[in-house]
Amino acid sequence: MDFDWQHMLIELLVMPTLAFVVGLVMVLMARRLRARIERRVGPPFWQPLWDILKLYSKRTQVSHGHMHEISIIVLLGGMIAMEVFLPVPGFDTFAHHGDALTLIYLMMVPTLGMALGVSACANPNGSIGIARALTAMLAYDVPFIITVAGAAMLYGTTSLPEIIAIQQQQGLEGWGAVQMPLLALAALISMQAMLGKEPFEIYVAPAEIATGPMTEMSGKFLGSMFIMQCFQLYTVSVLYTTLFLGGGENWATFLIKIFVVVAIPMTLTNIFPRYKTEAVVAWLWKWPTAIALVGLFVVMMR
Amino acid sequence: MNQQNFPVQVAPLESCREPGPEERSMLRKVLDRVGQYCQSRSLFVLHYCTGCGAIELPPSMTSRFDLERVGMQPMVTPRQADILLITGYLSVKTLKRVILTYEQMQSPKYVMGFGSCTINGGMYWNSYATVKRLGDYIPVDTYIAGCMPRPEAIQQGFLDLIERIDGGRAVAWKDYYRNYDRYLGHQQHLFGRDWLTPTDVVGEAAHYRLAGDGTLGPHTALLDQYAGYHQAWGVPREQYAELEASS
Ligand code: SF4
Repeated sequence: MDFDWQHMLIELLVMPTLAFVVGLVMVLMARRLRARIERRVGPPFWQPLWDILKLYSKRTQVSHGHMHEISIIVLLGGMIAMEVFLPVPGFDTFAHHGDALTLIYLMMVPTLGMALGVSACANPNGSIGIARALTAMLAYDVPFIITVAGAAMLYGTTSLPEIIAIQQQQGLEGWGAVQMPLLALAALISMQAMLGKEPFEIYVAPAEIATGPMTEMSGKFLGSMFIMQCFQLYTVSVLYTTLFLGGGENWATFLIKIFVVVAIPMTLTNIFPRYKTEAVVAWLWKWPTAIALVGLFVVMMR
Repeated sequence: MNQQNFPVQVAPLESCREPGPEERSMLRKVLDRVGQYCQSRSLFVLHYCTGCGAIELPPSMTSRFDLERVGMQPMVTPRQADILLITGYLSVKTLKRVILTYEQMQSPKYVMGFGSCTINGGMYWNSYATVKRLGDYIPVDTYIAGCMPRPEAIQQGFLDLIERIDGGRAVAWKDYYRNYDRYLGHQQHLFGRDWLTPTDVVGEAAHYRLAGDGTLGPHTALLDQYAGYHQAWGVPREQYAELEASS
């Protein structure tokens, strides 16, 4: 296999940057949506960027040791690696070398990085938060992995660019959401949990455990968390678009699709209260898993 | 300042000085300006709601006045917050918590005294248990007068603060480092001479080059004297009596 070094280098730099910029706009959209639902005006356009710059420009920065600092690098590194493997219009050199399984592995890295950092902070709220985050991960990964398995079975491949190509050849009927609606629904629910939004917002829970893993994070550490949030919104929406909405033919349709995908959980989150931890696990292992299993059965019967 | 008497060594004043505006490079100036602007446009607020004024905050935050328009957001831990909002009277007991909270916040940080109770004691001026002037114990950037101030007044206070941060004039937090001895003296006057907080303010002042003439003094010397006897807070009574007798 011959490598086009120049192209790869450009992709390595451009894709995380793009993901960050799109993620910032997604955060803005989420906050504006929340404001509109509460009949407020909401923040100005540059607010997400101002927040991050402000946090990085803090004069004093409390670090809780080397592990705290390394954890931030692990967390952002995992996220950036994930962005590179996502297929977006025009940039899919790396996506051809990785596949859906690579992404599933990489998706756990940020949470584990966060766990490392929180253990260095030694704050009880943080420990409870990270324990909840890992529990939630156990809960939503079951329906999510069944969904990915179903998609792989339907298209006969786990390579994301190939999945996109197959869907785009067949037009609207070929879209994953049309071919396997049950799996698409299950994935939507586990996406809500993956983003940690109500009713599954157990590990941030500001009123209960003071934002859990972020309790002790200040200045640049909190800023990195905000950046991670941008990446997270982007990753999850691109993955969903790739598997179920035929990916992006060009940047215009691609952006429309990912923003619509993000708007769904961001709207739902404002109308739900929060489940308890054990209720989240029970609920996610019951309903989305059942739906995903039925969906998988339907796919296998074809 | 007589350094020999104190075990805590602060670097000589000359190196503790911040570079003046004319000494900074062009890049540094631009970055500082951008930072200042972002600091004024993004403010995370920590509400310390033990006073009655807290009731005016929901209307200022929610749909009627919507403070998110100017970039203000409630935050839940001192580490993440920029503004500490003291919404009314403080008793001697709650003031301790306020000081612990204030010291955990990351600079630049701003304190807002809310209602006449924080200015001069308000209608509790002759109570034995409340703090009369908040500004004696921690540096306050803005006071909002009124008992209690209306959301319009609160907003005006926030807008003033934003303007001052943008102009680089909201620097009360530096005063806490520069004149720590004075603030600590007032705190010790209320809480006793063995008062100690987990944050090493003197060390921070030295590390971030914020120390001044008033950082060290007789009160910070007491801090060192009692530090040896403390595990966390509270010296056993007998030891305390011994110390009192010896000093
Ligand atoms: S100023 Fe008035 S409203 Fe505010 S805490 Fe004091 S008594 Fe209550």
